[in-house]
Amino acid sequence: MSLFSLLSVSESGMTAQRARAELLVENLANAETTRTPEGGPYRRKDAVFETAPADTPFSSVFESQLGQPQGVRVSQVVVDDSEPERRYMPGHPDADKDGYVAFPRTNPAEDMVDLMGASRGFEANVSAISAVKDMIQKSIDLLR
Amino acid sequence: MALPIAPINISAPVDIASSIAMPGGAQPSGDFRGVLEGAIQKVEETGNAATKAVEGFLSGDGQELHSAVLAVQRADLAFELGLQVRNKVVSAYQEIMRLQM
Amino acid sequence: MATGLHEPWCMLDPLANKLEHYMDLLSARQKLVASNIANADTPGYKTQDIDFQAEFLNATAGAPVNPVEVRGLAVRNDGNNVSIDREARLLSENALRFSIASNLMRDQIRSVKSAIEEGKSG
Repeated sequence: MSLFSLLSVSESGMTAQRARAELLVENLANAETTRTPEGGPYRRKDAVFETAPADTPFSSVFESQLGQPQGVRVSQVVVDDSEPERRYMPGHPDADKDGYVAFPRTNPAEDMVDLMGASRGFEANVSAISAVKDMIQKSIDLLR
Repeated sequence: MALPIAPINISAPVDIASSIAMPGGAQPSGDFRGVLEGAIQKVEETGNAATKAVEGFLSGDGQELHSAVLAVQRADLAFELGLQVRNKVVSAYQEIMRLQM
Repeated sequence: MATGLHEPWCMLDPLANKLEHYMDLLSARQKLVASNIANADTPGYKTQDIDFQAEFLNATAGAPVNPVEVRGLAVRNDGNNVSIDREARLLSENALRFSIASNLMRDQIRSVKSAIEEGKSG
């Protein structure tokens, strides 16, 4: 089953990169959001990745030669708690008594680059699944 | 295209070996016997190995698919060969019996 | 006649064993590639691989394979050194080699089978 466990590893990669991409998209969409249900401007979110053993339905505890394959998961979502950016806009509906509006501290350029990275990472995991499927098929073909 | 299944019944290797043995319980002598017994033994060995390999794969014990498939192919070949050897031995034996008449 | 009949047992095995071992190593290597790809953005993660040559020469198939850390890769700020390019290349290479090995194996099996069947009509 070893090659099959590889599918779970790649799947975990896809899930993690997707979660990361979703957070990045949320950051980008809310780059100018001054009002949130929790109060205050939008705060950036980051996904933190960590290695995690890949769970496969058929694997036994004694995985063969290499030991448990290393998948990945999002261990936590870090919410940025730095001071929001304050801009002087007296006419703005969210302005405080001094005329300042609190804006999110985001970095859209960086988030765009990260989003491309997440997309590329996602694709790479998809390629891995495809390559492994080929190898499994080849193994089955040996019976012909 | 349907997956061709190896003709051997891997859950009963012992039956295969006995099916290769001489019909009617006739005993070949000398060289014939040695060769035939060698063939039967090989069939049993590879058959057992194949069963073990396939079970290992199915139980998720880390047995690779290609290894299990190869074990089945080896058992298949051993069986084929065993069958041919047995047929040869039988026909040679019958030939000899006819000569002695 | 007797001696000739023993040879087919050997016809498949020495080459098939080597090919099987080769395929085992390729699978193990591919597992590490997949882990590397999945962890391409994990802080602190270091790229893993196996020393293919060394493992292949160590002829006992089924012996446990040792993953090693790969040297010479650039480490980023978060401590991760995975190069997606390297892993993508290895992914294709391993799959291709596996394909070649399994084709060779299949041919080998077919030849032995025909050799056995040739003997039928003799």
